[in-house]
Amino acid sequence: MRATHTPDTGAATGGLRQAMAWLHTWCGLWFSWLLFAVFLTGSLAVFEEPITHWMTPEQHAEEAAEEAARASLPATAPVAGRAQRLAHASDYMTQHHRSKDMWEIWPADAEGGGELKVYWFDEQHLYAQAKLDANTGAPQPLLPPKVPARGTLGGQHFVDFHYNLHGGTLGLWIVAIAAMVMLLALLSGVITHKRIFKDFFTFRPKKGQRSWLDAHNAVAVLSLPFQFMIAYTGIVFTATTYLPAGVWAHYGNDAGVHLRYTTELTTPGLQPRSGRPLAVPALEPFAAQAVALTGQPVRAVVVDHPGDASMRISVYGWNDPKGLVRRMSDATGMVAFAPDGRVLQLRLPGGSADGSASFVSQVMSNLHMAGLGGWPMKWLFFLCGLAGTAMMGTGAVLFMVKRRNKSLREFGGRTAQVYRCIEALNIAAITGLAVACIAYLWANRLLPLMIDQRASWELRVFFGVWLVTLVHAWLRPPRAAWRVQLWTLATACLLLPLLNGLTTGDHLVAEMARGDWESAGVELTSMAFGLLAGWGALLLLRTGKAVQPRRTAHPSLGSAGERP
Amino acid sequence: MNLQLSTALALTLAYAGMAGLCMAMERHHEQVTGRRDVSIRLRWVLRLSAGVLLLASLRVCIDGWGSGVGWVAWLGYLTTGALLVVGLWAWRPRLAMGIAVTGGACSLLVFVLACQSSAPA
Repeated sequence: MRATHTPDTGAATGGLRQAMAWLHTWCGLWFSWLLFAVFLTGSLAVFEEPITHWMTPEQHAEEAAEEAARASLPATAPVAGRAQRLAHASDYMTQHHRSKDMWEIWPADAEGGGELKVYWFDEQHLYAQAKLDANTGAPQPLLPPKVPARGTLGGQHFVDFHYNLHGGTLGLWIVAIAAMVMLLALLSGVITHKRIFKDFFTFRPKKGQRSWLDAHNAVAVLSLPFQFMIAYTGIVFTATTYLPAGVWAHYGNDAGVHLRYTTELTTPGLQPRSGRPLAVPALEPFAAQAVALTGQPVRAVVVDHPGDASMRISVYGWNDPKGLVRRMSDATGMVAFAPDGRVLQLRLPGGSADGSASFVSQVMSNLHMAGLGGWPMKWLFFLCGLAGTAMMGTGAVLFMVKRRNKSLREFGGRTAQVYRCIEALNIAAITGLAVACIAYLWANRLLPLMIDQRASWELRVFFGVWLVTLVHAWLRPPRAAWRVQLWTLATACLLLPLLNGLTTGDHLVAEMARGDWESAGVELTSMAFGLLAGWGALLLLRTGKAVQPRRTAHPSLGSAGERP
Repeated sequence: MNLQLSTALALTLAYAGMAGLCMAMERHHEQVTGRRDVSIRLRWVLRLSAGVLLLASLRVCIDGWGSGVGWVAWLGYLTTGALLVVGLWAWRPRLAMGIAVTGGACSLLVFVLACQSSAPA
């Protein structure tokens, strides 16, 4: 393959490339620290559920017991049918929550067994729920758990942090701007890269700056489709939050806008209450028709405006995990009915009931969240996310490596001090954040169960440790700081299974033996990170022993396109 | 084909294809054989075989994940395959090429057998 760029014919091309190099350097530098954090936590967020599972060990026994009960049940005990379950739920809601704006009934699991639950919004507009006995319809008290639950955000922390830094709308804006800058840096990076095809497979280890540039190029170029996709879908995902003009133009910008907007988006065609009473009809015929139309078992029946002539009954289906693997959108089947049985809206599984725009938006969010393709896709997203993380990290390090021996004096007389700041920020942003992430898992096991606001304390440990790494990076000479933080990271990651064993009595072999691959996966992945960090520390030790870093490029390779 | 088999095949085929493209480049050819001059003919043979392997990988993805998700999966395997090539080639180029040849040949065989067994009689 030849380099497919236009030949360097004159100043214009060189000028463009230089301008792009400048853009790439400075966009890259100022945002790489934030983007490194977004990418590392975002990659971990792919495995939100396994991480949450690992962080709530008290529930493992309960889950196992439920699983066993479910496995032994269908053969022996009679299970109440769907019609009976829906009737019980409807009776309960009519008796106790007649005036609510919305009833939500979850009659059964995908196999038709399991729990019967009802939900509604209470006076504070928060979800409230009750569990009913499927056979008698009697409400069951929600038992307090036998063991005190471990207050934790679990894997949700990584999800939240990666898109809003736990900083609400302001955080979301900051991340969104960073993502836009990232698109700019990707584009300018591709334009600057003179030998994108010639160096496609090139990585020359142990050559100092050369190796950093090679690594930066390789991880970026080879994972480019993913990086564009993830940044773009991430921006589109929350677009109405920072591009609110469209919503404002239609709805105005008073306080209730967002609620009205989301209501209309999720329940299109719902008429305002008419004031004419109309009893809630038997729900089973609606459920049966929905099953016939979508081919999915019933997951939930939602009744909007129950008891009013404007009533609307929507039936949602359960997705079949096998079918989900081949679908771009994870939307379930849905049928919305008028109370007389007319079909108002039909959405087939994986389709859209309201046009291609909403379908595209569905697909983009699903793509961003790795909700398609089953577990192989989750791992691909995780690995590509780590490639993105490495792209940010190597880029930030490269900036300093290039300047360590020869100052480019970009900041005049203060250049040395600014370089020192950048070096410290590099350390805290890269190894510091990684140490903070593993510290978050350690905090989950070490913080006492009974303290107030335990979940917030876990977060405080995360941010506290991160701050400590920044102070450490600032106080210690850079090389020593890198080394100490890498060893800390390696140790903390490698010892995670031991910590788990000491605090909960569970261990890796037992997890694998009983098929708990979520827990085992978290610990094995942590150990892999530990080995990687240890390897990094060893490399640092070895280059430290060499008196002078090797700076000359391999003579036979010619002058490669260097980038700042 | 189940997800495990699709994953194994798609990844190995993508890796082998990427290794073929890599082998067609002078610098990387030299790392394996010690000779820098690669004849135009050999170069094109390598590229064509690489193309066949990559297309086979695409076919595995589309069979396993459907025509929408399959493309997404394929891009993912291309990236992982190429990153593996780069990583292995830097330290053990001969081993990397060895894995590519044996892995590529085996997966291609399994792929052809799977295609034949799934084709209507």
